[in-house]
Amino acid sequence: MNERIQLNRTDTYRFEIPQSGEMNVPARIYSDQAGIDNLSSSEGEWSALQQLVNVACLPGIQRAALAMADIHPGYGFPIGGVGAFDPADGVISVAGVGFDINCGVRVLRTMLTRNEIAGKEERLADKLMEHVPAGLGSTGELRLNEKEIDRVLERGASYAVGLGYGTSDDLGFIESSGKLDGADPSTVSKTAKQRQIQQVGTLGSGNHYVEVQYVDEIYDQEAAEAYGLQPGQLTIMLHTGSRALGHQIGTDYLKTLEQASKKYKIPIRERELVCAPINSPEGKTYYSAVMAGANIAFANRQVLTHLIREGFEDALGVGHDDIETLYEIGHNTVKFEEHEVDGQLKNLLVHRKGATRAFGPGRLEIPPRYRHVGQPVLVGGTMGTSSYILRGTDFGMDETFGSALHGAGRAMSRRAAKKQYPAKDVVNRMRQLGITVRAHGKHAISEEAPGAYKDIESVIDVMHGSGVVQKIARVKPLVCLKG
Amino acid sequence: MPWELLDHQADVGLQSTGKTLDDALADGVRGLLALMVDPQTVHPRDTIEIEASGTDPGSLYVDLLNAVLAAKDIHAMFFHDVAVDSLSRERNEWHLTCRLTGERIDLARHDVESDVKAATYGGLRARQDEHGWLLRCVLDL
Repeated sequence: MNERIQLNRTDTYRFEIPQSGEMNVPARIYSDQAGIDNLSSSEGEWSALQQLVNVACLPGIQRAALAMADIHPGYGFPIGGVGAFDPADGVISVAGVGFDINCGVRVLRTMLTRNEIAGKEERLADKLMEHVPAGLGSTGELRLNEKEIDRVLERGASYAVGLGYGTSDDLGFIESSGKLDGADPSTVSKTAKQRQIQQVGTLGSGNHYVEVQYVDEIYDQEAAEAYGLQPGQLTIMLHTGSRALGHQIGTDYLKTLEQASKKYKIPIRERELVCAPINSPEGKTYYSAVMAGANIAFANRQVLTHLIREGFEDALGVGHDDIETLYEIGHNTVKFEEHEVDGQLKNLLVHRKGATRAFGPGRLEIPPRYRHVGQPVLVGGTMGTSSYILRGTDFGMDETFGSALHGAGRAMSRRAAKKQYPAKDVVNRMRQLGITVRAHGKHAISEEAPGAYKDIESVIDVMHGSGVVQKIARVKPLVCLKG
Repeated sequence: MPWELLDHQADVGLQSTGKTLDDALADGVRGLLALMVDPQTVHPRDTIEIEASGTDPGSLYVDLLNAVLAAKDIHAMFFHDVAVDSLSRERNEWHLTCRLTGERIDLARHDVESDVKAATYGGLRARQDEHGWLLRCVLDL
C-alpha cells in the first residue's frame, strides 16, 4: 500500500517523515535534495520511502526508522534501512536482515603500491579468476559434510583458519572476531546445510566481487595511519555473504515468522515484514539461526581471503603474510548492542539491511589498534568509480545507533542497466580508465555498470557532511572480478 | 505472456499468469528457471520431485520457487522444465508436488543467466479473476 508521504527537510543532509498515524516513531533519511528528488521520481510500485514508513510502524522500534544515503527499494525494509528495537516489546524481522545473512565487505591491505603492479593487471585478473570460484553453478574446493558445517555454524571464521585458510591474525580484524555468539546449528534446517556443502568458499554472483584497488586520497592522516593506509598503496575489497545456507535460513523462517506474526497479532502493514517478538520462542530461534548464518558468511570470506592471497602469490609472487586483513564488516545483520536512548542505556536489537555498523571511538567492539579513531566503515562503490574507507563517530553513535551506508546504492534496475549498458561497451570504457574487468556471469558487467548506481561521491558527502561518519580514504579500482 | 519479469531497482519481480493455479505456478517456475539459465541448453535427463506448501496461493508460490532454488543447489542441477503432479488444499493448507527435469550442472554447456538468492514476500500477489490466476513476488538477486 502506497500512501502520500510528508517529507520535511530538516537540514542540509537530513529529511524527516514526521510520526503520524500508525507510526511509532518518525523516519529519517540521510540525503541531499538531488538524492530525494531521484528517489521520489523513481518511486513506482516498490517505494523505499513507503517501506521506511512501514518499518516505523513496527512495535518496539526506538527513536526513528533510519535510511542511509544509499537508500533504495528492497523488500520489507528498504535497502540502507536501520531499525533498533527494544527487546521488551520489539520484534525481529526476516526482511530487516535479508536473505543474504551477514553479506559484507572485507578490505585487505597489501605491502604493494599501484606502480608495482603496473602492466601486470591482466595477469592478476586471470589468476584471481582461476583461484576464486564465482558465478552461478560454481563450487568451492572445500567440501564439508553436515557435521563439519555445524562446526562452521558455531565457530565462523576461526573454523576456516583451523583448516589452514588464513591465520589467526585475520580474526582480530573481523567484526565480532568472525564469530557471533548464540548460534545454534539445530535451528538451521537440513536443507540449508545440504545447500551449502558445495558452496563454502565461493563468491556468488550479482553484485558480489573482488576488487584490487589503490589508495587515491587520504582525508584523515591519524586514522589512515591507524588503519595502515598510505597514498598509492594497493588494497583489495571482497564483497560476498552467506551463500545458499543463509538464503535457506531466510526462506525457512519466512514461514515461521509469518505464523508468529499471526499468533502474536503483530500489526504489520505488509506481509513482507513478517516478524516475531524478540523474546518469543520463534524470535529467539530465528535469532540463533541468523547468528549461525552470519558465522557461515564470516567463514566464507575467510576462505576467499586465502584464495585471493593464492591468486596474488601465483600472479605476482606476493607472500600471504604481505596481505593483511584491514577490517571486515557485515551489512545485512541483526545484533544486540548497547545504545543510549533518552539518557538511558539500553540493550537493543539493531537490524541493518544494506547498512553497516559504524561505531565511534572507544567502543570495546572495535579492534584495539583502531579503537582510538573509531571503527573502519567499508563502503563499496562501483567498478568504475571509487570506494571509501570511513570511520564511525561519537555523533553517529547518538544519531544512527552507530550505523552508516554500505554502498553507492542502485539507481537503476538490473533490467534497465542491461539494456542501457552493453557489456562490451562497459569493458571498453573501463579499459580506457585503466581498469581491468573480468566476470563469470554474462550479465554481471551490464547489471553492475557504474551508471546503474548513484554517484558515490554525493552519497559519501551526505554521510560525511551529516557527521555520522568521517572520510578516511578513497580507493579506486584497478582490477575487478565479478561473480 | 505466461510469465514476465518486472522492474525493481535492486532485485526483480516475477509475475506469472495461468488459466488454473497449477498453470500459473508452473509458469512461475519456468520464469525462474529461464532467469537462471537458458532451459534450451539443459537436457531433461533426470527427474526429481519437489514439494511446496503454503497457507494460501501466494505463500505456496513463494515456497515453490524457493524449493526449486534449494533443489538446484542440493542436486547440483539446472532444470529444463517442470510438471505439476498434484495440487491440494485442506482448509488453509495448500500443498503441491511437482517434477523438475534437468541435469547436472555443466558450465561448459549450460548458458547461465543470473543467480537468484530467494523468492520473497515482497510485492506478493495471488489473485484470481475471470481470466484465471495471477501470481507475483520479488526475487532477491
